[in-house]
Amino acid sequence: MRPAIVALVAAVSALPVLANESIPSEIRNFLGVHCVACHSGEQAQAEIRLDIDTGQWTPESTAVWERVHGALAGGLMPPTGAKQPSSAERATAVAWLEQQLAQHARIGGEVPRRLNREEYQNTVRDLFDYPDFVLPEAFPADDSKDGFDNVGEGLILSPPLMAQYLEVATAIADLILPPARGPAVAVSKRYPLATSDFASSGGGLAETGTFRIVSSRNMASTAAWPDRFEAVQSGIYRLSIEARAFETDKMFYERRTEPLRMGIYARPKADQVYDPFGEIRKVAELEVLPGSDATQAFTAEIDLARGETFGIRWENGPAYSDPPRRDYSPTFLADRLKRDRLYYAAMLRYGGGTRGTTQKQVYEATAALMRSGELDLTDPRLDKLPEVWGGGLSNLPHNWIRAFVHEELQRFGPALEVTTVEIEGPLRLIEDRETQIRKARTKRFLGDPVTGATDRERVEAVLRRFLPRAFRRPTSDEEVAAYAELAARRFEADPAARAEDGLHLAVRRALVSPHFLYRGLRAGRMDDFDLASRLSYFLTSAAPDEDLVALARDGSLSKPAVLRRETERLLDDPRNENFVKSFTGQWLSTRLLRGIMPDPRLLRFFDPDREALITETELFFSEILRENHPIETFIDPGFSYRNTNLNKIYGGNLEGREMRRVSFERGGRQGGILSLGSVMMATANGVDTHPVLRGVWLLENVFGTPAPPPPGNVPAIAPDTSGTTSIRDQLVAHRADPSCARCHNHIDPVGLVLENFDPVGRWREHYPVYTKPPDGAEELKKEFYSTIGEGALAGPRIDAAAVMADGTDLEDVTDLKRYVLERIDMFSGCLTRKLMVYATGRPLGFADRAVADRIVASTKARGNGFRDLIIGVVQSDSFRTR
Amino acid sequence: MMGQVDRRKFLKGAGCSLALPMLESLSAPSAQAVQGKAERLVCVGTYLGFFQSAFFPERTGPDYEISPVLAPLERYRDRATVLSGLDHRGRNGHGGWKAWMSGSATGSVSMDQVVAAHVGHRTRLDSLQLTCGSPPGEARMSFTKEGVALPMIGRPSVLYRTLFRSVDDNARVGYLLATNRSVLDGVTAEAKALERSVTASDRAKLGEYFSALRSVEKKLQKQTLWLDRPVPRVDYPLPEFDPVAPDLALECESMMYDLMALALTTDTTRVLTFLVPGWSQVFEIDGRKLSAGYHGLSHHGNDPERIADYNLVGIEHTKRFTSFLDKLDVARDEFDRPLLDSSLVVYGSGMGDSNTHDNSNLPTLVVGGGLRHGWHRRFERDGANPKLLGDLYLTLMQRFGMETDRFAGAESNLNEFLV
Repeated sequence: MRPAIVALVAAVSALPVLANESIPSEIRNFLGVHCVACHSGEQAQAEIRLDIDTGQWTPESTAVWERVHGALAGGLMPPTGAKQPSSAERATAVAWLEQQLAQHARIGGEVPRRLNREEYQNTVRDLFDYPDFVLPEAFPADDSKDGFDNVGEGLILSPPLMAQYLEVATAIADLILPPARGPAVAVSKRYPLATSDFASSGGGLAETGTFRIVSSRNMASTAAWPDRFEAVQSGIYRLSIEARAFETDKMFYERRTEPLRMGIYARPKADQVYDPFGEIRKVAELEVLPGSDATQAFTAEIDLARGETFGIRWENGPAYSDPPRRDYSPTFLADRLKRDRLYYAAMLRYGGGTRGTTQKQVYEATAALMRSGELDLTDPRLDKLPEVWGGGLSNLPHNWIRAFVHEELQRFGPALEVTTVEIEGPLRLIEDRETQIRKARTKRFLGDPVTGATDRERVEAVLRRFLPRAFRRPTSDEEVAAYAELAARRFEADPAARAEDGLHLAVRRALVSPHFLYRGLRAGRMDDFDLASRLSYFLTSAAPDEDLVALARDGSLSKPAVLRRETERLLDDPRNENFVKSFTGQWLSTRLLRGIMPDPRLLRFFDPDREALITETELFFSEILRENHPIETFIDPGFSYRNTNLNKIYGGNLEGREMRRVSFERGGRQGGILSLGSVMMATANGVDTHPVLRGVWLLENVFGTPAPPPPGNVPAIAPDTSGTTSIRDQLVAHRADPSCARCHNHIDPVGLVLENFDPVGRWREHYPVYTKPPDGAEELKKEFYSTIGEGALAGPRIDAAAVMADGTDLEDVTDLKRYVLERIDMFSGCLTRKLMVYATGRPLGFADRAVADRIVASTKARGNGFRDLIIGVVQSDSFRTR
Repeated sequence: MMGQVDRRKFLKGAGCSLALPMLESLSAPSAQAVQGKAERLVCVGTYLGFFQSAFFPERTGPDYEISPVLAPLERYRDRATVLSGLDHRGRNGHGGWKAWMSGSATGSVSMDQVVAAHVGHRTRLDSLQLTCGSPPGEARMSFTKEGVALPMIGRPSVLYRTLFRSVDDNARVGYLLATNRSVLDGVTAEAKALERSVTASDRAKLGEYFSALRSVEKKLQKQTLWLDRPVPRVDYPLPEFDPVAPDLALECESMMYDLMALALTTDTTRVLTFLVPGWSQVFEIDGRKLSAGYHGLSHHGNDPERIADYNLVGIEHTKRFTSFLDKLDVARDEFDRPLLDSSLVVYGSGMGDSNTHDNSNLPTLVVGGGLRHGWHRRFERDGANPKLLGDLYLTLMQRFGMETDRFAGAESNLNEFLV
């Protein structure tokens, strides 16, 4: 072999780089022995060519040397199997490269950024004063690059996306500048409605064919909505109802003394019966007098928008809910149990049947028990409410009582009984709310009419306002003229066309223009308008507002004091929530949670639980940002935000869905990004944990020393869920191979030390051993709902102890937190670089990373506050350079 | 077993893998195969699935007894195949439903869209995605090749307008198409002006922009060509309002089938997917309110009464499906053959067992398309020749003349059973 190597060295020594006297001879030797064999010629590996004259520090060659530095400093090169340099040789080469790059590497290197999905949506909302604008579902999502979905290189503009841009542009133009239509004519019809057409959840159809409304619960699911009617035109409709108070001697509840108030409501969409909705409008109230069996006739004129239907609610019935709850009020339920001991005893004995048992079956079974005389009325539980003895009123007992009472009221009253319903209309058309809002929006877009102006002049005036806002920078007269020309062609060619129709065309063009879709796509250096956009999209995921634009226009935004003030302003702006959601969702991977389905044998986990975990993370991050807490707070905060849903993750007995701040001792297991349930869940798969995945995630997102991608020829380590081989033993075996050990010595310990967190983020001392087969197998099929979540037993004890690559011993996560706190600059550097990638949309080069180090140091000198860190990022040259 | 594997390897290695199916078809030419390819694809899926033992016949083979849920289809048994044991080996739960047509719950191209890319250019609409009302959250069926779920039309009136747009609507579409060209010309000029002044990396980004523009322009050209052909006029009595309330879902379903038949007979599209949704609505069938809401029935807990009611809903779905087939059977294509003979129709669900949310053994029935029908085929998961739902899809796609041999994790096909 030796002669061949000598020959190779001889052949490549003729390469310019190896003859370049400005490179020290030991470095040239290093490159000659270790690098150029693969990295030269047309076939150079990874497109790193060291055989061209890289002695000149041009931007292109500097970029190549930056990659060489990354490969050598990170120990990625030479590849496994090739001759390795000694650590001293490597250190010398790295030191020389760092010294050279410090002189030559340049800050910047932005690739133009297409607005991503969220930025596009927010930008359109602001541009057209259209806060409800939502992109259609078919609008493609964006790809992530370097950890974020707002990085220029990753934001490809694919043909289907362009087709969507064009389609959405037309839809927006249609909304802002709708085509002219002739006057609408009311086409009135009579719609007699059968009582059987009413949705049954608010009451039920009696044998008499009448509809008995028994509940005054929240309208979302309980009003009587007719399913065979929806308003086809927005207008006034005449509603005719015959109704009476239904009361019998068998009622449990008292006879009504007050009139029965019959509320008529309109709901926005006839087809979304199961959505809770906050937008229902009360359109009329009618009073049905009690004390008589005779039906009473009512008419009311109500306004309905196109697509709406109406519903009837008994406003003051005996069964009620507390606003804004959808369920029966706990006060109402407790009242029944206190006043009706016999029923209480029967309810406890019977329960509510199995899942799917009907209301009628619950009632009849319970009533039979009440008649049986077998009930033990001395049961001491009957003296107290279920929540006192642990039964709770919230879940099952609640449903049982509701079903019983509902049926009872339907059979015996009191109920609001509707005999006939008819609706007729529209008697005349009205402008519904949506149309009014749309017209106001159009008016704002067009601005004040100028008397005596030609269509062309009007169009130009609108475009002079609109285009700079759409393009987020001043536009030239030529640009405005080109758009005005396009618009004018429309109304000059067609006498029927209006100025609005011309503008329709101009708006569609602006919304697919590269000036709108991209930022940073422009010749020359970064100016104040670019800076305004970069700052605004960084901290609000939206276009710069008028204040920022004004500061850019007078050139003062780039003054450090002004920039600092504006950064603070945007951090306090409500739109900063967009940043918090987007950045935490990606940095802490909480976006992954929506795709994870925890194993039901571990935990019954529902969407509100998932949302609570995500919200906890966001509130935690927000507080650090708002209060300028030190960076250390991310690791060991001593506080978090929790609600009742999170009891199932963290233990505890919080009540209520609203998130509130909870404090705990620092230095413990709880709190911080190394313990958050969201992070622990995002770094597992819902079924089992995998220390390698968590380790890789931590190196990338906490330590800032990402592990290289795994070699392609090695199979993944699959956890042995049978429990015979521990993951620890598997990993030890894996590390016996030195080529695996090089990375896994770093990856494995940080993953293993988190093994106490199960795949859903709960603390555990033992691995689970499943006593039931996974979902889908026979045994579970029988009683799915009774076995779910109870299928695991405690298995082998978890040993989370680990030795870090530098020899530090860790016992569990508290030691890991201490380890990171002792190296807080490492974490701070990682976080800073993440923020910089997110803010600038580019991978960081050598010079940008050096800037990050300076930001870390200067922030630390000022107390290490997180808010200060963000301000430091904005003030940095990296942020202010393209 | 070993020998078979080795032989296959050998054939592939020797470059014979292509020749083999040709030889087979030469040696056993079937009348159906000669009759030609499939021209249309319809996929119908019920969101809440079927009770498996009421869907799958007990016996396999040609003499199977028709199952209760499929009983309305009796007259089509010679032109239909029931397939059991097929699925994607995918995840369970409602979320897994999305994988039905694609094999992936996280979004990848669905079979209907692959077919639409192949035959869509022949009709004004490449494909149509339909449902009743607003579908439940996880109910998605068709996905583009970018993995984006396609929106579904849930209102008969909207579908009607899409299929048979009025002269006024047509004029507006024409105007928008024509002006989109000038919009694109305008922004092309802007991008060209930019290109001259910006850096190399910016130019690369602009390259992306230009190529996206060009492909959109091609799409506009196709739409413009179709614009000049007359829109078919049909006489279909739309109701005064769309029956989109969940209680009326069965009515809506009938209307959607009527309009689907019209879409095919007027050759307005050749690819249809129809997701038959389900919520908690309590259906009234033959004058009797069922014992629980539809969703509750699907979680029947093995209660015989609830299973019976759940099956009643399933039978209602099949009845409507059958009358849709009747329309395709009566209609004739350009060779005077029943439209059904050149239409592949899939009927089933992405939900295996709704009681446990288990997505294995997905109910599947294939009708028409000139396939070799009349059997109930059962594929054992652990048997010698396990098959995936993707294998069926490969056979269907190949019937359209596509040379596809991998889809949704499957790498073989069901040709030996169906062709």
